[in-house]
Amino acid sequence: MKRWRRRASPLPPEPSCEQVAAVLQAYLDGELGPQDTERVAEHLEHCRRCQIEAETFERVISAIRRQRPAVGPEVSERLTALVDELAPPADAPPKGGSSAEGPPA
Amino acid sequence: MTNPTDDQRFREQVLPELDVLYRVALRLTRAPQPAEDLVQDTLERALGAFDRFDGRYPRAWLLTILRNAHRNDQRRSRPDLLAQEVADRLPARGQDGTSDATVTQAMAGQLAPAVRAAILRLSSKHRAVLVLVDLDGLTYREAAEVLEVPVGTVMSRLHRSRRRVRAELDGTGALEVER
Repeated sequence: MKRWRRRASPLPPEPSCEQVAAVLQAYLDGELGPQDTERVAEHLEHCRRCQIEAETFERVISAIRRQRPAVGPEVSERLTALVDELAPPADAPPKGGSSAEGPPA
Repeated sequence: MTNPTDDQRFREQVLPELDVLYRVALRLTRAPQPAEDLVQDTLERALGAFDRFDGRYPRAWLLTILRNAHRNDQRRSRPDLLAQEVADRLPARGQDGTSDATVTQAMAGQLAPAVRAAILRLSSKHRAVLVLVDLDGLTYREAAEVLEVPVGTVMSRLHRSRRRVRAELDGTGALEVER
């Protein structure tokens, strides 16, 4: 999947704090292309102010995402079984009981 | 679907999305069994429409089906709510197609109080983006597909939403970073 940033103008080699702030959420979400990711990471290494900003937003995101409900394994199994029923896997035995064909040689 | 090749393609598109579908269904229905029923309804509808699916953004495609199925379920089970639903939704939905009432109900009782309060105070269009990306786990592109807005709009709404949640949580000490 294309990242949105690849269609926008790339960050300059030494982005300003304002430029980093504009893409910080995308950086934290892993939505930047590799070059921009590298440039933001480099900026954060040297700019304590932006680093604190990034750490704070990481905590905000983490606090929100902790509220995601977990999906238990038994639920996952039931949902997978439902898909098996709707669209059987290639190696599934044919529906309606035994096959007239014998086992493979 | 009887063609084994189609079955396989359907499985490849759907199986990775089951957890996300269930999480969203649980948030909408607020109970495990109705959530599973909603996922089942969604999968059956998806199978029926699979020949018209272009193969792009399966998560967004499935979530759109799920949300429509849920809306139809609500209308069937509580026809008396329909008029009120329309009345309620008009001012709250904005242009993003997400029912404010649905999201608000789904939030209740699931989020930690401070975070929940902060999210509930967001406008419906900002909350919709935050929920899709942070709770449902969609990428920006997928959220844009579901909401039918440009990716840049998802990006700006998400940034604004998180800034507001941050402002709400700032006073709690939960976000303090050692300086």
